[in-house]
Amino acid sequence: MREVGIVGIGHTKFGKMSGGSFTDMLCMAAVEALDDAGVKTVDGQHGIDQVFVATMGAGILNKQSGIASGLVDTLNLRPAMAETIENGPASGASAIKLGYMAIASGMCDAVLVVGGEMMRVVSGWEGTDFVATMLHPEAEYDYGITLPTLAGMFTRLCMEKYGITEKDLAIVSVKNHENALHNPVAHLHTVPDLYSITEDEDAGIINPYVASPLRLYSVCPVSDGAAAVLLCAMDKAEKFAKKPIKIAGIGQATDTHAVAEREIPTDLLAVRLAAQRAYEMAGLKPKDIDVAELHDAFQILEIVESEEVGFFNRGEGHIAARNGETRIGGKIPINTSGGLKAKGHPLGATGVSQVVEIVKQLRGEATGRQVEGAKAGLAVNFGGFGNNVVATILTKEEE
Amino acid sequence: MDEKMYAYKCTACGKLHHPKHYVCKKCGSRTFEAVPLEGEVTLLTYTKVYNLPEGYMKPYLYFGIVEFKNGLTVSGQLEVSDPIIGMKLISSVGVIKEGTNSDHYGFIFK
Repeated sequence: MREVGIVGIGHTKFGKMSGGSFTDMLCMAAVEALDDAGVKTVDGQHGIDQVFVATMGAGILNKQSGIASGLVDTLNLRPAMAETIENGPASGASAIKLGYMAIASGMCDAVLVVGGEMMRVVSGWEGTDFVATMLHPEAEYDYGITLPTLAGMFTRLCMEKYGITEKDLAIVSVKNHENALHNPVAHLHTVPDLYSITEDEDAGIINPYVASPLRLYSVCPVSDGAAAVLLCAMDKAEKFAKKPIKIAGIGQATDTHAVAEREIPTDLLAVRLAAQRAYEMAGLKPKDIDVAELHDAFQILEIVESEEVGFFNRGEGHIAARNGETRIGGKIPINTSGGLKAKGHPLGATGVSQVVEIVKQLRGEATGRQVEGAKAGLAVNFGGFGNNVVATILTKEEE
Repeated sequence: MDEKMYAYKCTACGKLHHPKHYVCKKCGSRTFEAVPLEGEVTLLTYTKVYNLPEGYMKPYLYFGIVEFKNGLTVSGQLEVSDPIIGMKLISSVGVIKEGTNSDHYGFIFK
């Protein structure tokens, strides 16, 4: 198989998109990635063989289908191949995986991957209902069970088993909000005060329960946004303006659709298996990773994922967070971008956005939040409630 | 309206499943028989949810995962004022979501 790298990245501001359509938002990220890579269209020739668009809900939320077919024309990248990819909140990393496969197989030399979601066009009720449609139809969705419901029950199990507290969740949340202050494209640029959201007499008002024991500041916001990466064969990378960041490993695994069926309910088995497969493919171990973006749609997930990917022993992730080991400058900085908690979580964009952050870190472009000397990074993109997970490892080639 | 809930028992090896699967997770067989799933359960975890999806005209609902005596673990709604992990509840079947033409029935643990 041919080696594959990333030579271009693009990212819109996450938050509330105004003054443009869903396609406009995707194009903004795509054009930034093409410009970053120095792609020029001359006499209709551009060298892009394939476009993958990752989105979970454009058909439902934006009443738009055939997104990739439309985008390839709007960008004048015809006659490149085009497909839209849906894998819930892991759509972005799945699309990158498919781009990797298209190049590794020899079918393509350059693939543009664009992920995006415009969610703030519907009410909170409708949005919660839409996201819940990926749960088991009869065993979960029909009951009114949502993602926060599953996360609340999972959080309580982890608290009982490992002694995690609500304050531990808040510590992770505050860290990610602090990181987002240095990320201009993050949705939220405010930092909650740890005391105010945990111990203050008004903490229950400032930080109310969403799905007990999960509170508002332990749940990600609803965001619009898009992100893009340009993948190319490593042996063709000299055609582009930027040095490639290598995709060293990709792993993916699935788990039971109905969460209640899992044998060990405090495990995120698909995260563990996806990460193990990515490490194996990359020939790396958890200790070789310098920076990680973990899918913290709920703060409990950052803690448990940090254990399942091998950074900490099971049951010790919250202690590492308390000790500052996951902060920038710590043992393994996690969610330097602000994570889903503060950077935002436009579903289809998230997996691509995580990879964009790792590329920035490995290039040394993460101004204000740079992990010095980072050479290898891991991104974990979590679909469903952990029933389809993609882990991606990127490495910086020796100078 | 059939107000019973069922487990799906593999006719080859006896492995119980809920929800329904088309291939047995233990032996790979494709044939199952429906057996009633009812009686006492143990509460494993729960949550009180305040932002319910569209269609629920309630300020909050409790949800939980329980274990039946046969070892099956399932999720459902709770009608308990002060849930505690490990408490014993009785499995009942009731309306879990009102529909336009027909209501949805499922587990309500009391």
